[in-house]
Amino acid sequence: MSTSVKISADQNASWLEQHAELSLVGAELDWLNQQRKTALARFEEVGLPSIRDEQWRYTNLRTLKSQHYLIPSRGSNNTASLPIELPATDNSRLVFVDGYFDAAHSSITNLEGLSFGSLNASLSQTATKLEAVFGSCLSAEQHGFSALNTAYCQDGYVLELDKNTVVDGVLEVYFVATQAETVSHSRNLIIAGANSQCRIVERHIANDGLLYINNTVTEIVAGDNAHIDHYKIQQESDQAFHIGGVFINQAANSEVKTHNVALSGLVTRNDVNCNLLGQGAHNEMNGLVLGKGRQHIDNHTEVNHAVPNCTSDEYYKTVLDDQSRSVFRGRIIVAQDAQLTNADQQNNNLLLSKTAEADTKPQLEIYADDVKCSHGATVGQLDPNSLFYLQSRGIDTESANALLTFAFANEVIERVKVDAIRKELTQTIAGELLSDLEELV
Amino acid sequence: MLKVTNLHASVFGTPILNGIDLEVNAGEVHAIMGPNGSGKSTLSNVIAGRDGYEITEGSIEYLGKDLADLEAEERACEGIFLAFQYPVEIPGVSNMAMLKAAINSMRKYRGQDEMNAGEFLKLIRAKAELVEMKQEFLKRSVNEGFSGGEKKRNEILQMAMLEPKLALLDETDSGLDIDALKIVSHGVNALRSADRAIVLVTHYQRLLDYIVPDHVHVLANGKIVKSGDKSLALELEEKGYSWIDGQNEIKEAS
Repeated sequence: MSTSVKISADQNASWLEQHAELSLVGAELDWLNQQRKTALARFEEVGLPSIRDEQWRYTNLRTLKSQHYLIPSRGSNNTASLPIELPATDNSRLVFVDGYFDAAHSSITNLEGLSFGSLNASLSQTATKLEAVFGSCLSAEQHGFSALNTAYCQDGYVLELDKNTVVDGVLEVYFVATQAETVSHSRNLIIAGANSQCRIVERHIANDGLLYINNTVTEIVAGDNAHIDHYKIQQESDQAFHIGGVFINQAANSEVKTHNVALSGLVTRNDVNCNLLGQGAHNEMNGLVLGKGRQHIDNHTEVNHAVPNCTSDEYYKTVLDDQSRSVFRGRIIVAQDAQLTNADQQNNNLLLSKTAEADTKPQLEIYADDVKCSHGATVGQLDPNSLFYLQSRGIDTESANALLTFAFANEVIERVKVDAIRKELTQTIAGELLSDLEELV
Repeated sequence: MLKVTNLHASVFGTPILNGIDLEVNAGEVHAIMGPNGSGKSTLSNVIAGRDGYEITEGSIEYLGKDLADLEAEERACEGIFLAFQYPVEIPGVSNMAMLKAAINSMRKYRGQDEMNAGEFLKLIRAKAELVEMKQEFLKRSVNEGFSGGEKKRNEILQMAMLEPKLALLDETDSGLDIDALKIVSHGVNALRSADRAIVLVTHYQRLLDYIVPDHVHVLANGKIVKSGDKSLALELEEKGYSWIDGQNEIKEAS
């Protein structure tokens, strides 16, 4: 069974009517049903975001609203073969197709202290453990899409690490979209016990030409001294709407690093929010956007220093060509008690064409008096002196531009600590800029 | 090889060169000296084809071609090399990557196949030795965090790799201590050959103790006011640039 709904700000009601007809995960769990109900109430209250909303001022969803989208039902997709061949791997890998777990293409290596599987399976096995975590990282002030994700979440991954568990390899998750005019809601949870460590890469992929909405939320709960590296590589279809949220709660001395790489998609909106709740916690947010054509990419980040002695470091870079547009808002809140906070934020935007546009808005709210906070935002073009230097060495203009653009983007990629992912991103980005460049870097 | 005729040029609209005549043949080393603001750097940048440096009158002929018709990268591919007075730092582009791109771009221009990786590595190692540059510098970003001397050595390394027909060295001696000056000069001297011309642009005579020129020209107010052999540089060192200014005024008065 699938449900047809038209997304429209003034037709929020149609979402609600259809809700009863869907078979959603964990339907037998009261606490989850209660959360879905609350989320629907929130959605009813705020509706889909519009440019009248300050947080969505630069991101117009007009094109999205004029179209019908189905929530695909479990088993509606034929997953015998994926439309995109996935590279072979020795790592544990989960694959989700149109939002649902695809066991046939997944492979999991068991490791003591690690539980890595689908939300559907997890809810039927360890539901009580999830109850305390599910939704705990989201603010009550969440936007309509996050509320919809809670209300309609179909599946997703759950990664649980017992205390002191260290995972050496990289955990992989693929989200593959295959059905046109669908909207999928995946809900992911990373629950890391004290002193645990892992690295996980989420990839969102589809073939070009496919029109769909991917509304995904990942919650990360990092226990005392847990270390988590979360990579999100977005290579959606060129027609896709990607609405992604990564919401993080960090306990004392934990370290969470997020890497948010947006390479494709028609409209992308990412919210990365982090609450630093225990002393000595460190958060790092890295982001890279490569925009071309008529792409629109909106990154909203928020770091909430709630307690003293925490550090945060944010580095977002954007490269825009053609008529692409980007939005960056970086909010840092330092609570009155959060003395000795050290927070840094950088957002650098490179415009390669006269018709590209970048809007950037650092937003610091500091209520403590003994803190170190810095921020910088730049919008610029390639340096003509560097360009001439390369040309004077015989490098043609196109290659010189590509080399310098690559160099700009690569400063974010260099922060990727997993060799295989860094190399892959380096090659991908070089290839995006110029086919010859791949051999050089 | 290079024939500059009555060259007038302006930099972003401001006239700097006011009628330069200069002829440089293969195998020769020319030194162009002059006080600050005389137009020395402008001349080398005009020849290399920098944006904003515009020929307003006269011409530059190089190997029988009018340079005005060629873009900066085409001039480089035709064999013109400019060693910068202030080499640019390019974070994120390694020395190796830039030189590989440069060599292959030039080979493509000349209709040759790309150089394979092994061949390239062998070549760059040999050339790095010439300017006493450690291997680790090759992997570092172009000039990023290099000292003044290291930057200039890097310029000579690039020149050695690209094997130009006409090398313009713009104030290559500025900011060098005596040891670095010796290394740079050694590199340049090693590249002197019968089919290559070198033009040294310098403020001081010091460099010419190490790279001995065949011809010396003195530039003042955008014109060559005096030409001679290497002894002219020594005379200039002794008497100072005011000596030229004085001569210039006499010439203009008469």
